[in-house]
Amino acid sequence: MKNAIRELRAARSLSQAELAKALQVSRQTINAIETERYTPSLPLALALARYFDSTVEEVFDGGNDDA
Amino acid sequence: MEATTMPRSKWFLPGFSAALGLAFLAALWAGGKPRDGLFSLGVMTVVGLLILLGGRSETIRGLRGDGRDERFARLDLVATAIAGNVLIGIVIGACVWEWAHGRDGTPFVQLGAVAGVAYILALGFLRWRS
Repeated sequence: MKNAIRELRAARSLSQAELAKALQVSRQTINAIETERYTPSLPLALALARYFDSTVEEVFDGGNDDA
Repeated sequence: MEATTMPRSKWFLPGFSAALGLAFLAALWAGGKPRDGLFSLGVMTVVGLLILLGGRSETIRGLRGDGRDERFARLDLVATAIAGNVLIGIVIGACVWEWAHGRDGTPFVQLGAVAGVAYILALGFLRWRS
């Protein structure tokens, strides 16, 4: 699923590892989400949105189905 | 709704491996092959140690448990399903082979029946739970 994680993360000068640590997932999971190889669960999507003070719709492109 | 991580003790899989080795030792010892049992225990202990002391590979950490998150749990589930399908395919093939050679298909028929019943029961239970 398309998403803005990479842009949001870059805007805060965060590394994948730092974001992963904050959300208690692996760095590879953040990378897989950014590269649209993995669609996160609803709890993780919400956690990502909350982390970036955004809504899920702002972080994820719901108009684009399965990654 | 915090369900993004699902770590388990890094000792789980090494411990399971060692326990399996001990079970193999007990069975082979009871069957009069203590040397084979000790060899099996040694192999399973080495496997457990490799997992415990393995590097920072995501696969090793995921298997070990300390690097396990929701994505790895999903990978684990799919890998388990693939392994199960391969096994079922082999059991069915072996059944057909045994029947074609005039035998009754034992033990593959029983294994296939157990797998089929377990699948139906699991499906019913999961459907009831969801």
